Amino acid sequence: MSSLEDRPERQYQSGSSGIWLIGWKRLKQDRIAVVSLLIVALFMFVIVLSALGLIANKWDDQVGVSYASPGFLGKVENTEALSAEAALKELAVPKDAQIVDLSSLDPLNDVMPEVNARAKQLLLVDHVKTETLPFGGDKWGRDIIAKTIKGAQSSVLVGFASAFIAVFLGTLLGALAGYYGRWVNDLLEWVYNVFTSIPNLLLILAFAAVFNKRGLLTVIMILGVTGWTGVYRLIRAEYLKHVNREYVKAAEAIGASHFRRMFVHILPNVSHIVLVNLSLLVVGFIKAEVILSYLGFGVPVDMTSWGTMLQEAQNELVIGKWWQFAAAAFLSMAVLVTAFSLLTDALRDALDPKIK
Amino acid sequence: MSLSLLRVENLRIQFRLDRNRLFDAVKCVSFDIPVNSTVALVGESGSGKTVSAMAIMGLLPKESALVSPDSLIIYGGQNLLRADAGQLRGLRGKDIAMIFQEPMTSLNPVIRIGDQIAESLMVHFRQPKDQALVRTLELLNEVGIPDAKRRLRFYPHELSGGQQQRVMIAMAIACEPKLLIADEPTTALDVTIQRQILDLIASLQLRRQMSVLFITHDLDVVGEIADHVVVMQNGEIKESGTAAAIFNTPQHAYTKALLACRPRIDQRPARLPVIEDFLNGNTAPIQQTERNRGIDDADSVLLEAKGVTKDFMVRQGVFSKRPFRAVNNVSFALPKGKTVGLVGESGSGKSTLGLTLMRLHTATAGEVFMDGKNLLALSIPQFQAYRRRIQIIFQNPYASLNPRFNVEKILTEPMIIHGIGLNERERRDMAIALLDKVGMPSTTLGKYPHEFSGGQRQRIAIARCLTMKPDVLICDESVSALDVSIQAQVLNLLQDLQDEFGMSYLFISHDLAVVKYISDYVLVMQDGEVVERGSPDEIYLRPQHAYTKQLLAAIPTGWSNNST
Amino acid sequence: MTGYLIRRLWQMIPTMFGVMLLVFLLFNTFAGDPAQVLAGKISNKADIENIRKQLGVDEPYWKQMAIFAKQVVTGDFGRSWATKEPVSEIFKKRIGPSLTIMVPILVIEMLLCVILAMIVAYWRGSLTDRMVMIICTIAMSVSFLAYIIAGQYFLGYRWELFPVQGWSNSLLINLTTYAPLPILLAVLVGLGPGIRFYRSVFLDEINHDYVRTARAKGLSERRVLFKHVLRNAMIPIITNVAMSLPSLIFGAFLLEKFFSIPGLGREVINAVDKSDFPIIKAVTIYLAFATMVFNLLADVLYRVADPRVEFK
Repeated sequence: MSSLEDRPERQYQSGSSGIWLIGWKRLKQDRIAVVSLLIVALFMFVIVLSALGLIANKWDDQVGVSYASPGFLGKVENTEALSAEAALKELAVPKDAQIVDLSSLDPLNDVMPEVNARAKQLLLVDHVKTETLPFGGDKWGRDIIAKTIKGAQSSVLVGFASAFIAVFLGTLLGALAGYYGRWVNDLLEWVYNVFTSIPNLLLILAFAAVFNKRGLLTVIMILGVTGWTGVYRLIRAEYLKHVNREYVKAAEAIGASHFRRMFVHILPNVSHIVLVNLSLLVVGFIKAEVILSYLGFGVPVDMTSWGTMLQEAQNELVIGKWWQFAAAAFLSMAVLVTAFSLLTDALRDALDPKIK
Repeated sequence: MSLSLLRVENLRIQFRLDRNRLFDAVKCVSFDIPVNSTVALVGESGSGKTVSAMAIMGLLPKESALVSPDSLIIYGGQNLLRADAGQLRGLRGKDIAMIFQEPMTSLNPVIRIGDQIAESLMVHFRQPKDQALVRTLELLNEVGIPDAKRRLRFYPHELSGGQQQRVMIAMAIACEPKLLIADEPTTALDVTIQRQILDLIASLQLRRQMSVLFITHDLDVVGEIADHVVVMQNGEIKESGTAAAIFNTPQHAYTKALLACRPRIDQRPARLPVIEDFLNGNTAPIQQTERNRGIDDADSVLLEAKGVTKDFMVRQGVFSKRPFRAVNNVSFALPKGKTVGLVGESGSGKSTLGLTLMRLHTATAGEVFMDGKNLLALSIPQFQAYRRRIQIIFQNPYASLNPRFNVEKILTEPMIIHGIGLNERERRDMAIALLDKVGMPSTTLGKYPHEFSGGQRQRIAIARCLTMKPDVLICDESVSALDVSIQAQVLNLLQDLQDEFGMSYLFISHDLAVVKYISDYVLVMQDGEVVERGSPDEIYLRPQHAYTKQLLAAIPTGWSNNST
Repeated sequence: MTGYLIRRLWQMIPTMFGVMLLVFLLFNTFAGDPAQVLAGKISNKADIENIRKQLGVDEPYWKQMAIFAKQVVTGDFGRSWATKEPVSEIFKKRIGPSLTIMVPILVIEMLLCVILAMIVAYWRGSLTDRMVMIICTIAMSVSFLAYIIAGQYFLGYRWELFPVQGWSNSLLINLTTYAPLPILLAVLVGLGPGIRFYRSVFLDEINHDYVRTARAKGLSERRVLFKHVLRNAMIPIITNVAMSLPSLIFGAFLLEKFFSIPGLGREVINAVDKSDFPIIKAVTIYLAFATMVFNLLADVLYRVADPRVEFK
């Protein structure tokens, strides 16, 4: 008896081959897609570790000399570092002397040697700055690799968070306009027209000018609120098409409510478009964040992102310090964005209902 | 046998589905097209008939189609499959021309029709444009385009579907081809237009002494037009021979089945024969009693429509809109357990009427009574109770099931909405029982619509309606998109369900033979109005209205009538 | 046709009103009191008080909106808060350099992209096609900034093929000396997305039934592509060009910033930096208007490209 009852369940499992499963199967056959997926996954893994504070949490420490050379280059002449160190020493000496002076009068005299020893140790640690770092250092001697990881964290966070907001807004408004038509459509079309009448980057800059506070949340909100229009247009067009499809009419005939038809019946049929646009927007917003941060409207000064790294890199390039530029622009950003774009392309093909 | 114009020998075509799967589209097909004759390639969808034709044209997609190296297509002493691209281009459009199913999409929408036809002449005969246009005008006159001189400068969308197909034909015959391949050229057209195009192709064939390869699923059309018939199924030839041989003494069970399972104007068996009957050697259903149709006074009226009218708003001018009347003042009564047939051509308003009855369109005027209540005037919560009592099965089985729902979800969704069944398990059991009722195994429960054929999908759609135990089922062209053999099965299923549950059907179709077969009462619609009504036998034997007469005269007569 | 134009112009009014409302909401309500915004940016108290008076900050919102509406209608957005120059003057001065680099970029980019995309579409499915697509994707993934920084460094600074930056008063010198490097870089960046977009447009068209008909007529593949497909692809091409036209005025602001081109884009960046609202407001309104006009132009062009489009 029980085996009989179980049967439909098992068949449900084995027979289930909805779009996602088919898409996944197709994706797995695409070698480029698999490689891209692995790269993206690796990046995400590193970023999650960094967000949890497990790696790169000391990116701000000045572990190397100014513009420490990349390890693979060996030791090259580093005039900037020498001059910077000289300046640092001049500063350090009088301070040290003062401490010694005061010690004789101090009531805490007996503990002082220990404190002094510690301070010396600290100073020692502070002073032993390496000449080379695996991928070089920046002006303050910060490790480029740690900085790039931290930068990736902010850039990717901005990309994903703002893409989620934009896709959510675009999908919701597009669904409402396409499904209901009439005055709902007219109203939302008006909003859409207003937003698209202003070139996107200008709109972002206008928002940036008004929300004077720099910060991750501000960037995310600005990109999200200005970026929904493309998704809106696509989803609205899809809903316009689907609302007259026979399966939706059939859903109306069986008495499904508006909400049910909109989100239970139609939404799964456009969800692949939502997904593809989400990943397109992630790529777009990562690039936009870089530009905003470069211009100084992006992440705050106490954070780093690929954009702020490129900003620093511009001047470094002229004095021949190319590694920050290479790390930010090519090794991390170009690799991640290329992998993400190729994955998006493969995803689009894999989920395309036209290709059977 | 007369001289051969083109010979297909041992044609095998495979399609690449993905990296390691191949699909055999055409398996070992051989046939002969004699000079000055019409050969019909008949088969249902997936039979490989169109693929074979595309192989003759050399238009198979190179990336995915693999033609077996020992296949031959001999034309003019040359194997076309081995010809180089330049040679093929020289033949295409000049010696061998082709017309397609959808004239609207097959013509380039942004180029004037005159230029499109003239292009063939300019490319193949190197004629200058003005000379080519003079010839084009003659061609348009030949294919019967009225006011041809003015229409030379028309764009495709400015012509009707029938005229577009005439333009396609003019383009095809421009270079005096020896072979015209016609791929379902009338399937997308109304029956009266189909009649005109068939007559045109037949007369051109005679006049120009060319050969025609006519690809179709419709045996009635074949019987009328073909000299030779090739019957295909699943990529194989089942039978081939002269039209007389195929129609009078079919040998293969599949051919016999195809001939028998199509409803006929002059017969009405209690149950249509289906392919399985023939493949199992069971031919009994052919000699069975006729079913009685008709309505008598004893039938109680379940649903009554009075003066139903539906206007659509069409934009006109700069700011204004004007109404377009799609359905005008239609009244009829639907008796319990009977079928009312609604027949008309595209644009007659028959589908709109069906949708308006169940409030999928908002009626402009009129009343629909059920249990003494006017359904069109009920509030939405009040109507919800009636909603499940009137259900609809749509035309396109590929569009009417939600592609993202599996069968279980499709079937349980209405139960959830209407609170049928106590829990998931009970609903699933009901779904399995209903699947059984429509002849589907319970293993289908976890599958998605794209895994089924058209006929199977239509069965699932029927099962979905049955979950709500409706009193009225509106069948909106429900069998029109199906192959004839599947059509017979679904019609039988609908009839069985009506006999079992006593449902009333409103059967909407452009197909007069099907409507005649299944209806107890028939309404003929034209331009939104009912122009004639009555019992099916009466209407088909003694049509009163001119339009009904025209419709009936346009039905392809098939072979049997031709020969007697 | 006239009726259509009238109706379309009529429809612009609510959109324009919406843009005004958005700008007003942003700059007059969300931004808050200019005294606060400009703290630390303009030190002169009297100046700020003057600005507050001009905006009508202490008046009710409807009155402020009326002041703004008057600015929009007259096209007089007052003076820059930072330089006190009239906004219209700034606009007039800055638009020339922007156009000098943007017009060549748009024309060259479109022609190159369409031609290259056509060639790639002709070889669709081949290894060449797939390689070109992957190269395009990689090229798109590198930030525009990286192109500019690297281009300026190598082509300008290291190899001295172009001046690193600069601008003159002569159009000819600008076009021959200072504009080529920014134009080259912008076109290079535009190729990736452009080729991908037009290729997908062409491939979409190639799958249509009329292409099968054209082939069945015995036309060569080249004729099929360049006569039948290209004519049908005009609609998306026009749309794409029309959508990129507003950037003509706004300019590639990054280029202007890097190459010290005194264009509108750089002006806007500086204005955002200094919270110089009159300039941002004016540019936003002007560009919104220009966008609407370009869209209308595109719609009229659709009729030329596609006889099915009717002016309804």
